[in-house]
Amino acid sequence: MTRHLLAGVFLVGLLLSATASEAPQQLKPFVRGSWQDVLRSHAGRPTLVHFWGVTCGPCKVELPLLGKFMTDHAGIDVVTISADLVPDLPGATRSMLEKAGLWSAENWTFSDGFVERLRFEIDPAWQGDIPRTILISRDGTMTTIEGSAEMKELEKWSDQQLAVKR
Amino acid sequence: MIDRLNRGNKAMLRTGLLGTIAFALSLTAAPAQMNHQHASEAACDESVLRCASKVTPTFAPDGTLWLAWMAGGQVSVASSKDGGHSFSIPVQVSKEHLNLDWGPDARPKIVVDRKGCIALAFSVFRDKAFNGQVLTTRSTDGGKSFDELRPITSSNESQRFEALGLDADGSVFAAWLDKRNRVPAEQSGQKYDGAGLFFASSKDGGATYSEARLAADNTCECCRLGLAFAAPGHPVVVFRNIFDGGVRDHAIVTFADPATPGEVRRVSKDDWQIAACPHHGPSLAISATGTYHVTWYTNGKARKGLFYARSQDEGRTFSDPIPVGRADRNPTRPYILAGPRGMTVVWKEFDGEKTTVNLMTSRDDGQSWSKPTAVAATTDTSDHPLLVSDGQNTFLSWMTKADGYRIQPIGDGS
Repeated sequence: MTRHLLAGVFLVGLLLSATASEAPQQLKPFVRGSWQDVLRSHAGRPTLVHFWGVTCGPCKVELPLLGKFMTDHAGIDVVTISADLVPDLPGATRSMLEKAGLWSAENWTFSDGFVERLRFEIDPAWQGDIPRTILISRDGTMTTIEGSAEMKELEKWSDQQLAVKR
Repeated sequence: MIDRLNRGNKAMLRTGLLGTIAFALSLTAAPAQMNHQHASEAACDESVLRCASKVTPTFAPDGTLWLAWMAGGQVSVASSKDGGHSFSIPVQVSKEHLNLDWGPDARPKIVVDRKGCIALAFSVFRDKAFNGQVLTTRSTDGGKSFDELRPITSSNESQRFEALGLDADGSVFAAWLDKRNRVPAEQSGQKYDGAGLFFASSKDGGATYSEARLAADNTCECCRLGLAFAAPGHPVVVFRNIFDGGVRDHAIVTFADPATPGEVRRVSKDDWQIAACPHHGPSLAISATGTYHVTWYTNGKARKGLFYARSQDEGRTFSDPIPVGRADRNPTRPYILAGPRGMTVVWKEFDGEKTTVNLMTSRDDGQSWSKPTAVAATTDTSDHPLLVSDGQNTFLSWMTKADGYRIQPIGDGS
């Protein structure tokens, strides 16, 4: 009995420690309301939100460029959201983010099969084309870039944001 | 007494610990389960129709309704002799679990000829980089069994977004998007955009296909194709092209015969310059008059939303595009059919909570259209709405996660 009890305690400990240790590295599940969470948690900070997907050819090209952008622009919050139709591909998602140097960013993945509703909360006119980038200024102004972003454009926006004193 | 108390305490401790373990497990398992239910497009994990994420219908010449669907990592087929009220026992086309292409515009394709021979095609992901492979099979025993799955081409580059059409002589025409030309371009230091529109034909009911050939290069690589026949032996394919400057507008090609693609012609100048995957392909129907009817999505500088246009000269020129659906309701996924009594277009609209399928009809070959009406609705995720005809009536075919599969007769301008 004692052995079983100890095993049980050990199991609980394992579960809790595993949950705690992995939490910071997990992809965040993007569900209803998550978009408002993103906006709230980055309010007042210049933030680049990038929507992408593991099967999207142009995304594969752009992702490493964004990884470099993040490295070079510590003052910009970088958030990625995997917006594929069906999520639940944490391995592939993580692998691509790691290769692109983006795993240390704030990374989300669509986790509600009703993707129309998730997209609607972000932008009612968005029909799902990816890649897509939303630049959120300190004052909350949002600029949407459809398709692959020009790095020069991001640089220019970043310079403007970092030049603005709070 | 003490012993009993101790036993009681141990029992309570055990119960408490087991409860704690169960609670701890529930903390990890419950969100995972909930996450799975919400995260999936499908209502369940099995291969049955109720669990399908994509369902494709077709009527055989004898009036039998056939469905091919993706569910539980399988492609399954079943038929109905009573218009979809009841179905035969489903048959899976392969024994192994398939890594099916789950892109928004992917779905199994099915055609059934006069002899009851069934040809199928669908895409799988062939590797961890999500390169695709188009697989084909056929049944010659009325859907009881299917041949071993065969790639539509021997090329090992990525192929996706296949379309199948049954020609008047019983041959099967196939078109798909194929990335094989990327390799030689990149080897010679050239940038390669998009994919190639490739095609092949089968003279044996879909058992084998002719060598793949190119119809148009550098097309958009991530949208479904529209396929119809202008006349026997003259397949027509509409697709999202990449025009000069990276403009992803629609183009159409009419084949002089199933082995000879014609000139690529532009459907409209929407001017959607974007380096992205729209995941939103067009739809094509050709009426008995020979008029081409195309409906599509764009987010171009010239226009944004869903549009319809027609051509009476085999795609050389098209009418001015007319908008389809309510712009404030995010219209998506248009599908057009030339039915026995006129043209029908369906599409989805979304109001933030509910998706409706809307419909409009034309009795004058697309010159004028009825006022749109909502014919179906659901409150969770759903497949694209499709139209299918048995030669007498037109039906809406729609798979929804919350309400299951439906095939419902609709007005078609009659």
